[in-house]
Amino acid sequence: MLYVVLFFLLFSLLLYVLLGGADFGAGIVELFSSAEHREKTRDTIYRVMGPIWEANHIWLIILLVILWVAFPVYFNIMVVYLHIPLTLVLLGITIRGVAFVFRHYDAVVDQSQLWYNRLFRIGSFVTPVFLGMSFAALVGGKITLTEDFTHTGFYELFMQNWLNIFNLLVGLFYASLCAFLAATFLIGEANGEVRKLYSRRSAFFTVILVILGLILLLYGYFKDIEFVKDFLHNPVSLICIGLSGVLLIPLWKFIKKGYRIASRFMAGLQVILILFAALYAHFPYIIITEEKELSLLEGIATPSTISNLAIMLIIGGAVILPGLFHLMKSFNMIKVLEKPDNTDENEYS
Amino acid sequence: MENLDYARLQMAFTLGFHIIFACIGMVMPFFMVVAHHKWLKTRDPIYLKLAKAWLKGVAIFFVTGAVSGTALSFELGMLWPEFMKHAGPIIGMPFSLEGAAFFVEAIALGFYLYGWKRLPEKFHWFTGIIIGVAGVASGILVVSANGWMNAPSGFEYINGEFTNIDPVQALLNPAWFTQALHMTLAAFVATSFGVAGIHAFQIFRGKNVDLHTKAFKIAVVFGAVTAFLQPISGDLSAKDVAKRQPVKLAAMEAHYETEKGAPLYIGGIVDEENRSVSNKIEIPKALSFLAFGDFNAEVKGLNDFPDDELPPVSIVHYAFQIMVGIGTLLMLAGLIYFISLKKKNWLKNKYYWLLFIIIAPLGFVAIEAGWVVTEVGRQPWIIHQIMRTEDAVTPMPGMKYSFFFYLFLYTILAITVTWLMNRQIKSLNQQPQTKPTKNKLEQTFSNQDKPRGVKSSGENKIDD
Ligand code: HDD
Ligand code: HEM
Ligand code: HEM
Repeated sequence: MLYVVLFFLLFSLLLYVLLGGADFGAGIVELFSSAEHREKTRDTIYRVMGPIWEANHIWLIILLVILWVAFPVYFNIMVVYLHIPLTLVLLGITIRGVAFVFRHYDAVVDQSQLWYNRLFRIGSFVTPVFLGMSFAALVGGKITLTEDFTHTGFYELFMQNWLNIFNLLVGLFYASLCAFLAATFLIGEANGEVRKLYSRRSAFFTVILVILGLILLLYGYFKDIEFVKDFLHNPVSLICIGLSGVLLIPLWKFIKKGYRIASRFMAGLQVILILFAALYAHFPYIIITEEKELSLLEGIATPSTISNLAIMLIIGGAVILPGLFHLMKSFNMIKVLEKPDNTDENEYS
Repeated sequence: MENLDYARLQMAFTLGFHIIFACIGMVMPFFMVVAHHKWLKTRDPIYLKLAKAWLKGVAIFFVTGAVSGTALSFELGMLWPEFMKHAGPIIGMPFSLEGAAFFVEAIALGFYLYGWKRLPEKFHWFTGIIIGVAGVASGILVVSANGWMNAPSGFEYINGEFTNIDPVQALLNPAWFTQALHMTLAAFVATSFGVAGIHAFQIFRGKNVDLHTKAFKIAVVFGAVTAFLQPISGDLSAKDVAKRQPVKLAAMEAHYETEKGAPLYIGGIVDEENRSVSNKIEIPKALSFLAFGDFNAEVKGLNDFPDDELPPVSIVHYAFQIMVGIGTLLMLAGLIYFISLKKKNWLKNKYYWLLFIIIAPLGFVAIEAGWVVTEVGRQPWIIHQIMRTEDAVTPMPGMKYSFFFYLFLYTILAITVTWLMNRQIKSLNQQPQTKPTKNKLEQTFSNQDKPRGVKSSGENKIDD
């Protein structure tokens, strides 16, 4: 039963990274587009993401619920020591979430659109950065655990574990991963000039991603960050990363040839490989503190709670996944890829 | 004030914020579905317009509810880590079911929002129902988690350890039913009178009276019916509290002395120092009857509880008075509506509309007051008789800044949402739906190859 719970934990993490990530990425692509193409991007995003927009972000809530029900000790450390970066994540989620909806449902279209757009784009950029920083803080080895909160400095306990260059690099890496995903997903939604534009964006973010990835590994290696070193010493992780590098070539072929499903699939696979590589070397030791490594499996809930949760998750999954799939299908999120982009005008009517 | 106080304030503020959006998100879909149904039956375009206007409202409230709810699920842990560490595994069940309900709701919302003219009509309408039902289900589930804090069950507490955990029993704790029933009704009462009041205001101003009268009728019926049920369910809740949290009951009634045949106080000023209540109206023996169904039952007073287990009496007492007062008032308003069904000429009277305008926000005030009764009345416990709130709070200092940060953020959000709603109503009143005038700014937005650009915001997207 524990494995069922672990499966759903990783599954919702993956889906959040992929779908939530593509969603953040859409805003980042918008942010980095020239003014004239922003409109186009904005509309495309709305059409592609709109119907599943809400659902994308519920993966985070599922993730959180699994953590606090099944892994209370782990969750406890996370919320106590990462209070500040998590608050910043929440700020980002709040701002971009409401801005996305306001700009589409405001009854009057006027100056305020400028603000919604601005907030949406900036929020989309900073949220994944903070998310990446929070994750990096867990594994960066800078957490100082203590029982004595009154005599240890605020900075030592609550700041230095997340506010450092390594974490910032991880944050930026995740943000560019999001942008890469979104740009690749968007290619399938456009034609002609705009399509070329997304191809260029996708290439741009791929390059950024690779560069940031290399800097990250080098920085971690020379700064003796354990997570990175273990990663580099683990053959499976290295193979995964190597594979994801090699797979960039077919990805590019698919994009050029216009195989939309295949290219999306490849982009998703890239992310899976990177995530897997990052977690594999250390699993289940996902909290690394100054002194020791803490296992996710330390202090898990009692077997009855775990099996109960597992049953809930299986039932929930059986209800939700078909519904979600049907939703995607109904709105051609999967099929639209096969047919040319001519439905624009009557899409909305 | 200490860290603990700020953490409490932040929790109260964010929950109090969230609950308003959650209630509207739970109830509005039902109005929308009724209007939609009327459109399918009569093909009167006004109903379609109404359904779509409400739909936009639902979308805006839904998202504000969702982001503030996401913040809450982090906050439970971030503010009360010790609580979640132990309670998480026990009350995880309602929360994981709630997650499933949110998913169903979000999926249904996706279908409903984007399904106009693309899905079969009946199915499309049905997805609207699912939004409402899933919303109510998630409301009931969270309240059940809260019920567990008031009536902890489903575990054994031995030497500070929680063992023998039974999540199903924790979900079905002794408080869940009365609380969930009362809360669900409250959501309907508050949202219905709120929406009805907004439309009453438009009728009062003589704007687009036909549409607003139709809207008013749909909303007010829900409110009038539930406002009658609310005091009945409130009485059930009170009897429940009397059994499981006698000290909370005593605080609600500001009842200091233990006595048989205890009187009910209405109003009154609480003097916590001298442990007395002045300027009250007394109804002999009523409290004993209301709490235990027996005029001579003994009601335990605050003086008979240890000092360090008393909640802040005056806050709880005043909040309770406010809730019950508003409950009575709203029931009367419901009665007035039912009478007006017979006496049609009342609808011409502007005081009739004025009444519904004035009571519009009261339901929400009652909800906030009711939660203050429940949550403050439970103090100093975060889990009744098991864990104290002060032992659960985060060790991180500086909660003050966090609180002011949320206060600032949510205040701006609240202002923005109010302003957006105002704009929705204004655009409803523009009889022939005029397209927004093109201004300079908009031209820079729309790009050459696709002039649909900005116009498509909302307006055209779900209109047909
Ligand atoms: C529209 C809102 C509204 C109205 C008109 C009323 N209530 Fe209420 N009340 C709530 C909204 C509410 C609430 C916000 O929904 C609470 C908080 C917790 C809960 O379960 O419901 C609540 C709690 C609550 C409790 C505490 C339950 C507990 O601690 O477990 C009692 C005893 C009552 N109510 C009793 C009443 C009575 C006798 C009313 C008579 C008119 C009444 N309420 C009207
Ligand atoms: C949305 C409706 C709710 C409102 C308006 C509300 C209101 C409040 C208020 C006023 C407080 C502060 C009490 C005090 O410390 O003096 C509080 C505290 C708290 N509430 Fe609720 N509550 C709601 C629902 C819930 C639910 C469903 C949960 C369960 C998971 C919950 C968990 C808490 C916790 C953990 C605290 C802090 C500890 C405490 O003071 O007891 N609340 N809430
Ligand atoms: C007891 C009072 C509460 C009620 C009645 C309630 C009800 C709801 C409802 C109906 C929604 C759906 C959003 C909408 O339709 O607008 C929602 C959203 C949410 N609530 Fe609450 N809630 C309460 C308190 C809480 C608490 C204490 C938590 C913290 C654990 C919480 C967590 C959430 C989350 C995570 C969401 C977002 C899910 C989404 O994306 O729809 N709620 N709540």
